[in-house]
Amino acid sequence: MLLSSCARAATAAEAAYRIDAPIAPARAARVVALDGGAVGVARRVAQHPWASARFLVCEGIADGGSADGLLLRRIDGAPAVLSVELDRADVVVMIATEDGGAACASAIGRACAELGIMTAGLVLGEGFESAAAVAALRPHARVLLPSADESDVTELLTALRA
Amino acid sequence: MLKKEINDLLTQTGNGTPMGEMFRQYWMPALLAEELPENDSPPVRVKLLSERMIAFRDSLGRYGLIDEFCAHRGASLWFGRNEASGLRCSYHGWKYDVTGQCIEVPSEADNSSFCQNVKLTAYPLVKIGDILWTYMGDPQKTPDLPEWEFAHVAPEQTYTSKRWQQSNWLQAFEGGIDSSHVTFLHSGGLKNDPLFKGAKGNDYNMNDTKPFFEVADSEGGLFVGARRNAEEGTYYWRITPWVMPSFTMVPPRGDHPMHGHFWIPIDDENCWAYSFDYHPVRALTEAERQAMLEGRGVHSKNIPGTYRPVANLDNDYLMDRESQRTGYNYSGVEGIAIQDSSLQESMGPIVDRTKERLVPADSGIIKARQKLRKAVIALRDEGVTPPGVDTAHHHVRSAAIVLPVAESFMDSCREAVSATPGTPQTTV
Repeated sequence: MLLSSCARAATAAEAAYRIDAPIAPARAARVVALDGGAVGVARRVAQHPWASARFLVCEGIADGGSADGLLLRRIDGAPAVLSVELDRADVVVMIATEDGGAACASAIGRACAELGIMTAGLVLGEGFESAAAVAALRPHARVLLPSADESDVTELLTALRA
Repeated sequence: MLKKEINDLLTQTGNGTPMGEMFRQYWMPALLAEELPENDSPPVRVKLLSERMIAFRDSLGRYGLIDEFCAHRGASLWFGRNEASGLRCSYHGWKYDVTGQCIEVPSEADNSSFCQNVKLTAYPLVKIGDILWTYMGDPQKTPDLPEWEFAHVAPEQTYTSKRWQQSNWLQAFEGGIDSSHVTFLHSGGLKNDPLFKGAKGNDYNMNDTKPFFEVADSEGGLFVGARRNAEEGTYYWRITPWVMPSFTMVPPRGDHPMHGHFWIPIDDENCWAYSFDYHPVRALTEAERQAMLEGRGVHSKNIPGTYRPVANLDNDYLMDRESQRTGYNYSGVEGIAIQDSSLQESMGPIVDRTKERLVPADSGIIKARQKLRKAVIALRDEGVTPPGVDTAHHHVRSAAIVLPVAESFMDSCREAVSATPGTPQTTV
């Protein structure tokens, strides 16, 4: 029997025969800062060389709480529209430091659920404010890191090839 | 995805490597106590962190873990005679005690002091529970002995096995904090395995195959919470603790014993999977212990006289396509442990993490790698003692619980994930 025909092919030597195709960026990520504390983090992380990640700031939401009412900006200050930003996105990473962005998170979470877009939430800091942020994000983030620090944002996006 | 240099940093554990130095900060399992069952029993070869050693138990019951090779001509002491409080090389009769000190060189004069200058490298070897533990670091920094709950309950409440896994320790360990594979790879076990089946929690597991995850820091490592829908207004949480470098526990099911693992590097392409089961407040039943001996639950059926699983990469893990087709075993491989090892070994001895395509559900793994990397670098550059050395970090448990949707698992489960002797596990 050929070595490659059985499980014994799991050797370092056989690994050389694995197909070596280039890997495209796996994730079209949108990173949304939900409050003032998160904006600074997003700005710094955005300076890394990302493949396709886009960084946004959510400045609030109009009465009614619908996704169309989100006051969204690109990190460079240009106005943005959620539905446009989510077009072709496949993961949204929300960053929060307190619960002020709860309504925004809810609107983004609902929009992502409708479009089948994965959501992740990173809550930076500790204490009451971050606990409130965790509670606000929990229903809307399929993955939640409640005691994250700034490096977690970079780490997650790097791991996702964002 | 990891850069190659980070993958190398975390997967290489030989002497002088940063990760190897980190492992050398901890007491870790060296072998099972059953491998040295009595005084003067045959010596056992042990390879850990790419160092080859011999373990033996002398005439006085003292355990020793010393360099495998005689200082004289480099012959293996596995051939040695374990007799009269020392291990004697079968080649020329040089004899060593459990500290590695040479105590006899027969070719020298009777009153020679030559042997006093001959000492093999030796590490302490201590029995706690079913395991013989060693510490391979700086003797001046020897930490307190391990306080893991499974190793301190009464003997009738605990059982530990081990199996050889033909892969690097990291990819084996990562399976231990990867809750999302359970619903697929181990789905058969939830229905069939005597140490898993019958729990209410299994229904929640199978009814919601898209869990939400929360990854929370702990002093020793992480708690990974997987949340699934339960009854209206509630979530079913499964909480997996990880304590650095490689201790994990599986969240419990019903009143079954709790279980967990240590993954210990043999060398960079092999590791030991130590698997334990224990019940914090009762003895294991005869049926439970028998099931464990037969390789059910997290244990494996091994080739008699060895710790190599019967189902291994030389026989395609006894793949059963009919079992796969019917769903009795999701992958067609029998047994929780071998289901894991078959896939982890198929990745290659050291998986190339530069080519991964991780997803947010892998956040536990992403965070664990980050914590390992930071701890390794802090130790290397600043001498910072890594998490998990402090025995306070050993007092953890896994938990399974149903909580109202508004409750945080970390706020509600602080007691549940703390190992308090004599208290039952929190389980569903």
